[in-house]
Amino acid sequence: MLYTSESIEQLAAAFGQLPGIGRKTAHRLALHILKLPREDVDVLARALVDVKEKVRYCSVCANITENDPCAICASPKRDRSVICVVEEPNDVMAIEKTNEYRGLYHVLGGALSPLDGIGPEDLRITELLRRLETQPTDEIILALNPNVEGEATTLYLTRLLKPVGIRLTRIARGLPVGSDLEFADEATLSRAIEGRIAL
Amino acid sequence: MRLRNVRLVHFRNHAETAFTCSPDVNVFVGKNGEGKTNILEGISYLCLTKSFFAASDATALQLGTEAFTAQGSFEAADGLTFDTVVSYQGAERRKVMTVNGQAPESMAAMVGQFPVVILSPENSNITFGGPGDRRRFVDLVISQASRGYLEDLLEYRRVLRQRNRILADNRERPGSVTAALEPWTESLVNCGARIVARRIRFVQEFEPEVRTAFGRVAAVNEAPALEYRGTVELNGDASPDAVRSAFARSVERVAPQEQRAGLTLVGPHRDELGMTINDLELRGYASQGQHKTFLVALKLAEVAFLRERCREAPILLLDDVVSELDPERATRLLTEASSLGQTFITATEATMFDRTYGATGYRRFSVRAGQVTADE
Repeated sequence: MLYTSESIEQLAAAFGQLPGIGRKTAHRLALHILKLPREDVDVLARALVDVKEKVRYCSVCANITENDPCAICASPKRDRSVICVVEEPNDVMAIEKTNEYRGLYHVLGGALSPLDGIGPEDLRITELLRRLETQPTDEIILALNPNVEGEATTLYLTRLLKPVGIRLTRIARGLPVGSDLEFADEATLSRAIEGRIAL
Repeated sequence: MRLRNVRLVHFRNHAETAFTCSPDVNVFVGKNGEGKTNILEGISYLCLTKSFFAASDATALQLGTEAFTAQGSFEAADGLTFDTVVSYQGAERRKVMTVNGQAPESMAAMVGQFPVVILSPENSNITFGGPGDRRRFVDLVISQASRGYLEDLLEYRRVLRQRNRILADNRERPGSVTAALEPWTESLVNCGARIVARRIRFVQEFEPEVRTAFGRVAAVNEAPALEYRGTVELNGDASPDAVRSAFARSVERVAPQEQRAGLTLVGPHRDELGMTINDLELRGYASQGQHKTFLVALKLAEVAFLRERCREAPILLLDDVVSELDPERATRLLTEASSLGQTFITATEATMFDRTYGATGYRRFSVRAGQVTADE
């Protein structure tokens, strides 16, 4: 039985497909849209379509961009001798926010996960190798997620890139800044000890 | 760790049950099916966020109700109080826990915060069941003592599933998988070696405790022993590094078999904890009595082990043990239990407890149709 209307149900179903949105939230959002002024809904609808039409992947680093190559790859101020390898475009945003890193990026588009049917050929690894052939690079930083899939991808890339002879590093895994040692969970603490550095 | 009070709402046959606990021995007396074990299950929810026997949270809902709540106040050895609430919403299948009003970062983070040892008829599969039952026992004990171990277990399980998928796919569509397997093998070995090394160390630390406890309960001159039987071939050296290289060699050696089987064949997920009395395998050779005594010894050893590692005496839950043991062994177990810390026991009658503890040496509750009343 339909308590609302077919359009509302359709919109709610569409919202329900989004990550982190459950059935109830999807309905609440749909009803909220109904209450919005017509202009606001137009803006939202246009924004949705624009994202699909205007945004593309940078042909160099595969980050999301509206201009190819992307602002980072095109910038003369960036250090072109360092490439930071990440899983997704939002990882680029996260690192950019630090204002510390001045090198370039390479977005793999995910991590190895046989359970999801993702193998090396599904990631932009060939593109990375081709990039290294044409662009002189001094260092590759592997900055993948600290989970099982990110770890396996790091190990895979390490085996692949070691023979190339470029300096290969990975970001440290350890304690969050501003926290106390005694409050750190054992797993994080033991990884931090494992990855300790000489002074 | 001691529980000061417990409250259960819509929990199995308890519409609403609340009682104040004795810091020592609490005995719940009632006929079968009146709801005694449910009380221990409720305490298990407070300590472990889950039941000690039921796989699904939904089964703990009182029939016809939407949500259950288990609530209790823990008092730690240092005097700190932890007001703990675990509630489960049936419709959304959502379980929420709060400690002093705050949600912990994860359910896994709670394991070991309130150490608990449970001895129930279901546990007989530790000595009677398959290797998986014994691995589960070892993993639960170590996890309560070491959060890092639990993280390793969860990680290993994930790596194993990923690696098995590659092997299974390859069996259907044969080709070269060496390159695809390599990173997963390396993860498997790194994480698995930490688990194996920890388990081997655990068996070394745990065995003396088992021997002591066995002697106290059995009062016969028998020698119980534990032995870690790994699928990874070690040459005596069980340091994490040595296990890692041995593990890597073992995986390499079984590569052809793995490709045929489409499965990961070596590692902590295939290991066995051997149990013997006087060098004879428990499984196949031991009497019923020996099985039970061994199980009780394992549980008492678990209490001793956790007390030392968590710096906190675990809560002991004894479900229907008196009817399972002969009177002599039962008395010894009860005497032992009361010296270890706070204990919750279910039984169909109280005679045994009056005899062991004296009529005033413990707190007795009557349980009838989901109603709990403290006996004066």
